[in-house]
Amino acid sequence: MIREVSFDYFIENDLPHRFEAGTPNIAGAVGLGAACGYLEKIGMTNVLEHEKELTEYALCRLSKLSYLTIYGPKETTGKIGVIAFNLEGVHAHDLAQFLDQKGIAVRSGHHCAMPLHKQKLKVAGSCRASFYIYNDKNDIDSLVEGIKEARKVF
Amino acid sequence: MDNFYRENILDHYRSPRNFGKMEESDLSYEEENTLCGDRIGMAIKLGTKNNKQRTIEDVKFMGEGCAVSLATASMLTEKVKGLSIGAVKKLKKEDILKLLGIELTPTRLKCALLPLEVLHKTLTLAKDK
Repeated sequence: MIREVSFDYFIENDLPHRFEAGTPNIAGAVGLGAACGYLEKIGMTNVLEHEKELTEYALCRLSKLSYLTIYGPKETTGKIGVIAFNLEGVHAHDLAQFLDQKGIAVRSGHHCAMPLHKQKLKVAGSCRASFYIYNDKNDIDSLVEGIKEARKVF
Repeated sequence: MDNFYRENILDHYRSPRNFGKMEESDLSYEEENTLCGDRIGMAIKLGTKNNKQRTIEDVKFMGEGCAVSLATASMLTEKVKGLSIGAVKKLKKEDILKLLGIELTPTRLKCALLPLEVLHKTLTLAKDK
C-alpha cells in the first residue's frame, strides 16, 4: 500500500505494509481460531484415539480383500489415518469416480508424490482414503462395499 | 453410475477396437498425460480418396490409462477410419463428448481429450508426406 499519492509520484508504505493491500483475511483468521477452540474442546488425545481406532478397523477390513494392494504400514504404529491402495485391474481415477457416485470421497492420483508412484511403486497412481473425527465405522463399511462393487463392474 | 460407466464405455474399455501395433505405419506419435500417468500412442496408415483427398486408411492405438481415456481412444479410432485428414483435423471437444454421450467433470475431461490431442499431433507429422 502507499503512504502518499499525487498526480506525478507516489511513495510506498514501509515494509511489510506495502505488501498488505486490500482487506486482510479476517474471516480466515477468526475461522481458524474457532476451529482450534472446537478441537481443544474435544481434546486432541480423543481425536488421535478415534483416528487410530478407525485406521485399525479399516486396515483390518481392507487387508481381507485379496485383490486390493495396500501401500505403507499395515498397522497403526507409525501411521496416521491415511490409507493408500489400488484395486487390481482398475485405474485409480476410475475407482475414485465410481466411489464418488456412491457418496464415498477418496483422493486419487499421485497425492503430490510422483517419484514415489512412478519410480518406487511403479504404478500410474493410487486411491487414498483418510479419516477424521466426523467419520465412523459405517463409512469404512461403505468403502469396503464400494470397492467390492467396483470389482464386479470393471 | 448409470451415466458415467455406461455399458458401451465399459465395453470399449474391456475390449478396445483398433488396439495394438501397426506393422508399417506412415505416421506415429505418443504422448503422456503426466498428471495421471495415462499414455496413448497412435499409428496411422494414409490413403487417398478420389485420387486427391488424403484419408486415414487405417489407425491403431496403444497405451495404458483409465476407462475414459482408453474407451475414448477406441471410439475415436473407429470413427476416423476412412475419413479425410481435413475432416479429422476439424474434430473438437464437442465431438468427443457426443461420442461418449456422458457428462464429464473438468478433471476427467482431460482423460477424454487425450486421444484427440494425440491424433491431431500425429496428423501434424503428415505435412511433408
